[in-house]
Amino acid sequence: MEPTTDFYQLIDALKADSANSLGLFMPEVTLCVFIALFLAVRLITTKLDLFWVALAGAVVGLISSNPLQLCSGAVESEEMFTGLLVHDGLTVAVRSILMLFLVLFLIFTKISGVPDKEDGADVYSLIFGSTLGMCLMTSANHLLIVFLAIEMAGVPSYVLAGLIKGRKRGSEAALKYAIYGAGAAGVMLYGISLLVGLAGTAHLPTMALQLAEIIPAAGLGEQAVLCLAAVMIAVGIAFKLSAVPFHFWAPDVFHGACAEVNAFLSVASKAAALALLLRLAVGLGSVPLNEVEIPQILEVQHESIMSEAAPTQLVSLEDQVADDKSAEPAVVEETADAPANDTEAEPAADDSDEEPVAEGAAEETIDDEAQAAALATRLAIKQAHDEALSPVRNFIGLLIAFFAVVTATFGNLAAYGQTNIKRLLAYSTIAHAGYMMMSIAPLMMTLGTDHAGAEQAASALIQYIVVYVFLNLGAFSIIAFLRNYVGSEEIEDYSGMVKSRPSLVICLALIFFSLVGLPPLSGFLGKFAIFASLADGYSDTGSMALLILLLAGGINTAISLFYYLGVIKTMIMGEPNEEHHLGDRPVGDMEMTYVILITIPTVFLIVCWQWVAGFADEAVKNFIS
Amino acid sequence: MLLIGTVSVSWYLAVGAVLFVLGAVCMATKRNLLGVLMGVELVLNGANMNFIAFGSKVLRPEGSLGLDGQLIALFVIVLAAAEAAVALAIALNFYNNHNTVDVDRANELNG
Repeated sequence: MEPTTDFYQLIDALKADSANSLGLFMPEVTLCVFIALFLAVRLITTKLDLFWVALAGAVVGLISSNPLQLCSGAVESEEMFTGLLVHDGLTVAVRSILMLFLVLFLIFTKISGVPDKEDGADVYSLIFGSTLGMCLMTSANHLLIVFLAIEMAGVPSYVLAGLIKGRKRGSEAALKYAIYGAGAAGVMLYGISLLVGLAGTAHLPTMALQLAEIIPAAGLGEQAVLCLAAVMIAVGIAFKLSAVPFHFWAPDVFHGACAEVNAFLSVASKAAALALLLRLAVGLGSVPLNEVEIPQILEVQHESIMSEAAPTQLVSLEDQVADDKSAEPAVVEETADAPANDTEAEPAADDSDEEPVAEGAAEETIDDEAQAAALATRLAIKQAHDEALSPVRNFIGLLIAFFAVVTATFGNLAAYGQTNIKRLLAYSTIAHAGYMMMSIAPLMMTLGTDHAGAEQAASALIQYIVVYVFLNLGAFSIIAFLRNYVGSEEIEDYSGMVKSRPSLVICLALIFFSLVGLPPLSGFLGKFAIFASLADGYSDTGSMALLILLLAGGINTAISLFYYLGVIKTMIMGEPNEEHHLGDRPVGDMEMTYVILITIPTVFLIVCWQWVAGFADEAVKNFIS
Repeated sequence: MLLIGTVSVSWYLAVGAVLFVLGAVCMATKRNLLGVLMGVELVLNGANMNFIAFGSKVLRPEGSLGLDGQLIALFVIVLAAAEAAVALAIALNFYNNHNTVDVDRANELNG
């Protein structure tokens, strides 16, 4: 009889968990429903234009991810689907950013006309599928999900890179992306297998707990395996972020794929990968407070102390409660005596919690005291664990700092030699991935010691992502519209563009200056947030790595100015060259409206910067505990 | 000696490591696209071998991954199939445009 009831209890618990989780999982469910819809429609007809359906899907996804709940206070961190996923402010924020991007992106593809009616259903299902994977990346709490999400986001993107049929370059781009992607994923999976095997679990918070116990006692061999595993996992994420030296695919894929796909890859994919990196780094580098339990041994000891001290009281407590509810006050006094001398009154409080009559005022104060004491114990245990994890944090922090410096510097330097605008922006994307990774180094250095500093660094990253969405979407949409108009993506063919399309050039100039980080454009604010967190981290910890990062960031910003300026200079000062204009679609009102709407946040985000900063602060509030 | 020794996790890890290295070498040296994809499969299966060994309660009574290990391996197998399908479709598309599946011929875009 016993096993069956256990089984039913398990099923009931799983049912309750799934029902609760599904409510928080609505954006992803929406995406799934619409993917199925696109595939089904594709079976029946290829004539239907599914743009409005896709847009409706994206809007429903945006509404159900409910970014406004961040405005009304921080979101509690809670695990979904038996701990596979986690739902907290970061999930909500990045998921909302992704959905907002999806809405804007779909409108952009409609205007630029790249998936034609025939391809629409396929392309939309691929884009939705990839976005689904990215949403999972932002909420992954288990290494299996980390891997699955990366692949779910990656595999549809490989196909998207070769979207335009019959183009040699497109097929080559897709091929390179697929091969590099599959290789990086394989290496990452092997790293995950080593890490999971050592820790004996794949659940991130549990893994952090295990690592905290393993690491102080780890021999040289175990340390080597842990480092190897971390580096292998870093390969997978660096590939997604196109961090140097795993960036080879980026310029080629960006060159070969169409500008629409580039926008998707450079914004959504980067944002999700950064969120995942944040989650992994914080997840492995610190033990979340609600994961810390008072260890069994301690409790047992405690109970034995208790039963030695007051055996009769405990017995009488249970008896009396069971017999007679009117005896409550007496019981309360008895229990109040027992834990009074002891700060760790958890077991006694737990006992009385389970009784249905535990309601008296005195009871509650005891409860509060007990809880405060338990919290203090848990905090102490957490700090001990975090102390033990400090080598992990240092290692991850230095690894990411190294990747960040190399990536930003290389991306900016390599951008100089480019004659193709998409290639140039690919390197610019690489450089920006470097800037964004910089914010994770101070986070890792201050995590566990300086709570506010860590939160500030994570918040800076979110702020940068918000800015970056508009910047790169704007840049790539202008490139796509210019491609339709000029029929070329070579920078020299854009010479003198300001004479025929002045407003377009002005918008592009604003976006480029913002990418450089010139005040008062939004890019400046994003960069400022990250550099400020670096400076604060340096003054707090005195870590040399952070100072180097800060200097590298400053120098890189200066370097990057000139290649962006070069493009603008060609467009404004160059001689117009009308016979190069081979495109068939003029830049019409729709295009201009879209570009201006995307550029507005670039210029005016500074006005409502408080709101963006508040959004980012709320997003990371319960993420770092 | 090998035949009478008790089989432990490390034996499986050794097989997994060999598979991983073979796969990595295969990815790096094969010029035929299909060969590269086979290398990817080997790498994934090397990792799978680790997961299954780590998940075995017989090999590792203490601190085993338990069912998680087997389940991760199952998921990876499914995912590898999906990835192979997509990669083969991309390979066909490449073949249609270039009349070859030699990865060295994918040199039009030089990063």
